[in-house]
Amino acid sequence: MKLSTRDRLGDILSYAFMAVMFVFFSWPLIWLLSMALRTRKEVFLGVARLIPKYPTLENFTMVLTSSQFPVYLINALKLSCLSAVGCLIIAAPAAYAFSRFDFKGKGAWMLGILAFQMISPLVIMVPLYRYMSRLGLIDSHFGTVMVYIALGVPMVTWLLKGYMDGIPKSLDEAALIDGCNRLSVFIRIILPLSTPGVASAFIITVIAGWSQFLVPFLLITKDSLVPIGVGIFQYAGTQNASTIQVLAAACLISVVPAIIAFLALQRLILSAMTAGAVKG
Amino acid sequence: MKKSLLAALAAATALGCLPVAAEDLITSDRVGPSDAPKKMVFRLTGDGPSSTDPTWAAGYSKLYTQFINNHPGWQLELQMMTGDISQEQARMLEQAKAGHAPDCAAVDSFVLPLFKQAGVLKSLSPYFKKEEIDQLFPFVREGVTGKDGQIYAWWWSTDLRVLYRNKEIVPNEPVTWADTKAAGLKSVEAGMEGILFNGSRYEGTAFDWLGNFWGQGGKLVDDAGKPIFADAANRDKFVKAVNYYRDLVESGAAPKRVTTIGNYDDLNAAAVAGTTALFVGGNWQLRQLQNSMDPEEFAKWTFSMLPGITADQRSTGTGGWTVAAFSSDPEKVEMCAALAREIYMGPANALQEQLPTRADLYDKYDVFKSEANQTFAKALKVGQARPGVLIYPEISNQIQIMMGKVLTGAAATDAAVDDAYKASLDAYARL
Amino acid sequence: MSARAMSSRLPFVGAAGRHNRVPSPYPWLMPVILVMGLFYLYPVIDVFRYAFTDLTLLGGEGHYTLSTFANVLTRPELQQIVWVTFIFTAGSVIGQQLLGLAMALVVVRSENRHLFGTTILRTTALIAWVVPGIAGGIIWKMLFNEAPFGGLNSLLRFAGMAPVQWLSDPDVVMWSVVLSNIWRGTAFSMVVMYAALKAIDPSLYEAAEVDGANGRQRLFFVTLPQLRPAILVNMILITIQTLNTFDAIISLTGGGPGRATEVLSLYTFNVVFRNYDLAAGSVLSILMLIISLGLALVYASFLPKEEKA
Repeated sequence: MKLSTRDRLGDILSYAFMAVMFVFFSWPLIWLLSMALRTRKEVFLGVARLIPKYPTLENFTMVLTSSQFPVYLINALKLSCLSAVGCLIIAAPAAYAFSRFDFKGKGAWMLGILAFQMISPLVIMVPLYRYMSRLGLIDSHFGTVMVYIALGVPMVTWLLKGYMDGIPKSLDEAALIDGCNRLSVFIRIILPLSTPGVASAFIITVIAGWSQFLVPFLLITKDSLVPIGVGIFQYAGTQNASTIQVLAAACLISVVPAIIAFLALQRLILSAMTAGAVKG
Repeated sequence: MKKSLLAALAAATALGCLPVAAEDLITSDRVGPSDAPKKMVFRLTGDGPSSTDPTWAAGYSKLYTQFINNHPGWQLELQMMTGDISQEQARMLEQAKAGHAPDCAAVDSFVLPLFKQAGVLKSLSPYFKKEEIDQLFPFVREGVTGKDGQIYAWWWSTDLRVLYRNKEIVPNEPVTWADTKAAGLKSVEAGMEGILFNGSRYEGTAFDWLGNFWGQGGKLVDDAGKPIFADAANRDKFVKAVNYYRDLVESGAAPKRVTTIGNYDDLNAAAVAGTTALFVGGNWQLRQLQNSMDPEEFAKWTFSMLPGITADQRSTGTGGWTVAAFSSDPEKVEMCAALAREIYMGPANALQEQLPTRADLYDKYDVFKSEANQTFAKALKVGQARPGVLIYPEISNQIQIMMGKVLTGAAATDAAVDDAYKASLDAYARL
Repeated sequence: MSARAMSSRLPFVGAAGRHNRVPSPYPWLMPVILVMGLFYLYPVIDVFRYAFTDLTLLGGEGHYTLSTFANVLTRPELQQIVWVTFIFTAGSVIGQQLLGLAMALVVVRSENRHLFGTTILRTTALIAWVVPGIAGGIIWKMLFNEAPFGGLNSLLRFAGMAPVQWLSDPDVVMWSVVLSNIWRGTAFSMVVMYAALKAIDPSLYEAAEVDGANGRQRLFFVTLPQLRPAILVNMILITIQTLNTFDAIISLTGGGPGRATEVLSLYTFNVVFRNYDLAAGSVLSILMLIISLGLALVYASFLPKEEKA
């Protein structure tokens, strides 16, 4: 391997850029962690006590024992994963059709689907609540997941379509000539080649589901069904409840399962990407 | 970092699992045996067994256990409410109309009129004696009574605003606005931030400040509920009260950051951190200060009635929580009334030192004989509740917007007040 | 063997295959149509219906009227709110797109050169992204807190610099909000850009190398043109996301001071949940829809035209 001065300069610039970005993205989290580990007395000492003198885990135990936090976390994980899987199942065929077929009004269909994304869930919420309550889907994880899916499908369709566009059409056509039908082309060729796109769409929907607030806030009232996005808000709760250090611990805990899931997935995603390249 | 988090997670999960051996009478969303035939759904705030203050949580758990033991055959399903009151109450209203409301719920006193008007509440009159109702403070009684003379909620706690101060830095009670400004400036000289108050987009911003307007005899709305706060009779008072706050910021007696304060905890934080010696806060904060300060530090703090434009034109906003019934099952309505009576009317006041709404309860419980609580009770006499009208939330919203513009110097006081008034009238016309 | 190599060996199958069968797209679209129709379309139609009424949350059936449109569109505050929304959206979208692209480029380059730290950087950015909106607002509120013990000001004081009025100065607050939004949202653009970069045909770079292109030329003549569709789609998506953002702002500034950070979505929220004015809220959400749609069309016009069969 030859190392030119230009490459070395590039490496230094890369490191410098990554360092700056790392500070930008990590400082709020470091601050949060520092707060969460402090006792009541040290909270107001600012950056001088970035590393607390008397670190404590009490705030974490308080959050995890005093309320239903673990249940909130499990609910959020369930809702966001189910909705991400559902989204992919529903959006992938449509994305394939948009990527491969020529049909009348294709552009209009695509914009129409995107237009759904543009309608702020805010105002939909009141009619949505009335509608779902008529369907008897209040306090039901099924109903909530279906709404998450409806919210996520437009973006996933667009992302997957964009990704599939990058896969040469001649591949399908070769297979079609070999006697495959469209469905098996889609399942055997296009989907495996789209793994990186599918993986990133999956992460995106899981995370969108994870931080959903309005939908579960309206559709779920039973505390045992509430996901974390609403749970943390309930926790920040009443005027005589919250204190900075406990809230910081709650915020951190709300992120931890997602981080773990992501770290686990990341390996999967990376291997999927490399596998795709080799197989292709 | 990950390790300690995981450790905490594991520890907490273990702790959470231990007591499950025998069926708990109280879980986070149920009180009473899970196989009890009759069930009432109660939606509550942090004023219950899941309060984040351990003492209060334990106290409430005891009260709820006693309550459910007194009512065999019943279980309560508890639903938690979030902290964003206007959003939360709008949701509950929508649920009530769809027939999905809880059987019984905590309703903030200032949104009670919405619920009364929407006709979703059930009368609690049959379950309270006339003498009990007569004992309620007048503004409380008016608040819960409907057009037909029946009571539609039980208002069990009230609160008010006072001026907290660190005696070491501000030894004398500021009685007038001028005193307050002088005290603020003096505290700045002593290295403090100056006087603090809520000034951002937050209900407390309007509410905590309104005492300055009401103290001069100002009125927000007329008898029909139409905004009149900047009509010929009130405009001058309103502008004066706004300019009082504006002057505090412009003179440096209050820091510019008051426009970012939208939480009573921020005020506690500054007091505990020792960066302020003066702030406008709620009566419940006294106990919070005590809990988070060293005793010798807490001993330096005291409070007094909110200052007025003159010493005898003082007032304060009063709020509080009610319990109301939505169920169409009379048995559940009765149960809801029993809950209000047996847990909240008295015992809960004593537990949390939340001021009762009945004059006689101040003598019944020893905690309210403390000097501090006697002072609060005295200040309640000049207290004024927010007007129970539909337009109030929007008036409050407009006051918050106006306050932000004025305190940052983005607009002249007169123009900002006129904008707020016009917007409130427009919104009123659309209701 | 790479996918591209295979396709280049079968150059003329394309036209023949396509003309022989014209498959109907509808079976493929059915799941989307069903789910969206069942769980979303009906409420959306209701929003359009409500816009032509004077409905409130407080009950009553309401009457059909056009006056809500007239009332909402002539409100004096609307102009400022649209302007604030514009600044917030433009700042966030440009910031997230540029930063996301830069990060993806640097991460891909560093991975190729086996530099240390790419995983850490990527993971940190992604953590910021999984923070729920409300929690994000709470975190940045702690950082921007202007009290002497606030997260950024205590750092500045520590370094001997003057504190900044992050949230109380109406001229600064919008940039603080944009900063917090860039912090939270950049990872999305990074993921999209990263996937798109990985999908670029390596033979293009080999060809460029042969032609003697330097790094900058490769960036401008290979990478960016190849990324154009992905960038535009990403811009459309984050523009819509940003326009709809309100949870992070509500817990950070509440829209204040005054109306300095009250964006259209937050205004809509306030109109529905504070004024209980369902009809006006519906008009506002249609306005938001029109703005998003307009922007999407503008972006889409930059998309490379698909070749016609």
